[in-house]
Amino acid sequence: MSQAGAAPITAPGWTARPKDGVALVDCDVHHNFRHHEQLLPYLSTFYQEHMLDQGLHLGTYSNIPLRTNRTDLRGRPEKRDRTEIDHSGGLETLDSDATSGSRDFNYSLEFLQREHLDRWNIDYALLTGPPAFYAYSGLPDPDWAAALCRAFNDWTIEHWLGRDERVVNAIFVSPSDPAQAVAEIDRLADRKDTVAVLVPMETSMPMGNRFYHPIWEACERHGLPVISHVGGAGGANRTTPTPVGFPTYYMESRMSRPTVASAQATSLIVEGVFEKFKTLKVALIEVQQLWAVSVMWHLDADWRALRDQTPWLKRLPSEYFREHIRVGSQPLHEPERPEQLHQMLEMLHADETLIYCSDFPHFDWNDPVATFPKLSEHLHQRIFADNALEMLTL
Amino acid sequence: MARVIVAKVAEIPPGQRKIVVPFRGRAGIGVFNVAGSFYALRNICPHRSGPLCTGELSGRVTTDEPPSGDGKIPSVSGLGEILRCPWHQWPFEIASGRCLVNPEIRVATYEVTIDGDDVVVEYEDR
Repeated sequence: MSQAGAAPITAPGWTARPKDGVALVDCDVHHNFRHHEQLLPYLSTFYQEHMLDQGLHLGTYSNIPLRTNRTDLRGRPEKRDRTEIDHSGGLETLDSDATSGSRDFNYSLEFLQREHLDRWNIDYALLTGPPAFYAYSGLPDPDWAAALCRAFNDWTIEHWLGRDERVVNAIFVSPSDPAQAVAEIDRLADRKDTVAVLVPMETSMPMGNRFYHPIWEACERHGLPVISHVGGAGGANRTTPTPVGFPTYYMESRMSRPTVASAQATSLIVEGVFEKFKTLKVALIEVQQLWAVSVMWHLDADWRALRDQTPWLKRLPSEYFREHIRVGSQPLHEPERPEQLHQMLEMLHADETLIYCSDFPHFDWNDPVATFPKLSEHLHQRIFADNALEMLTL
Repeated sequence: MARVIVAKVAEIPPGQRKIVVPFRGRAGIGVFNVAGSFYALRNICPHRSGPLCTGELSGRVTTDEPPSGDGKIPSVSGLGEILRCPWHQWPFEIASGRCLVNPEIRVATYEVTIDGDDVVVEYEDR
């Protein structure tokens, strides 16, 4: 909290408005390593050999362009040379030197502080790791997936945490083995900088399935929200990213994301996860926002006809949504007319459900100033700080 | 107070109904015998004006908590006491007209009395 309003103002458009308390919480800041071999020191000998002998076992299909990061951060305007072209796209695989950010800049805590936290006066930044890493959740070998998550968490602790109070962390877990996910949550939950648990959104079964309930139980027991970022098994190797098969172009993959978020939110609600875990919060991020309005409206209508299937639901589905589910603000819709965005925010109950996410440093990031139209002071504070603070219990 | 004889008691055995048209409008009413007790509801669903009283009968499905594989399953009680609109399946409690899924609406109900062999529906004549 001491950081609020303290940093120099250097970003275009950002006007200094020093405030007491917390003004800006960013719930999606990607950190990254340069090469997956950096995880070797954090793996047991068996899994070191596994990585060196067999690689990661990740699939290779991706239609994500190489230009996944803001190019202004590279420090050189030139296009890539051919040595930087890999066989599989930049973001969704680690089975090469190509990980998000690794080729573009020497990504480090200092880089993050300079280019993002200081520049925008960010009070808290939640680390969400490399989306490429989310594909581990779909690895058919649940022990390998869990080992990689443990290694990644330890690498994060050593290289990113403990040096800047603004930087807070989500424990990476693979949902493919809930028991090992729970053990990992129990191992790290008590750290002061642990504020969430990250579960990639593309799971093998819908999230409300009771297979995953031990994970949700552990999150609730420790008072940690679930941060579910788009990506995961559908990134490459297990499920298709759309319900109608593999898309040709990256835009198609992106447009499928709201369908995934809709399925997960609906599953969590109708399976009764929030009746069972009454204080659990789940944030679905990098999936746009209008789907959430659709889910609330459509579910409420359907529930009135179909309630006998799920009699454990005691309230309207939208009431569970508004109490328990949070929606990331990025990528924010850009409607035909600006006032339509205000209408959407009202329909979304954005003062309860929306949390600011920058998606730094990716090419589709949303800065905290120019992205939104002018909001009321109350709504601004809810979206940019209070909704996240309450969820993360900062 | 107006009194209308709508049926003979024997016409509507338990679990059965009689649609009476017209009755204060051409949609009419449904007169139900629920386990020996008679009720009358307006035959217009307050949701989207469907022919409510021609819907299927069901019961109340309840449970305390979501299923967890421990053998506990939801219970069904009061079979025949709930009327589901045929258009959109909104459930209504026949005895009260209360909508089970939207506390803000209810269907109009009428007092039913039995006078000898006659089923009589009463309403305020204003």
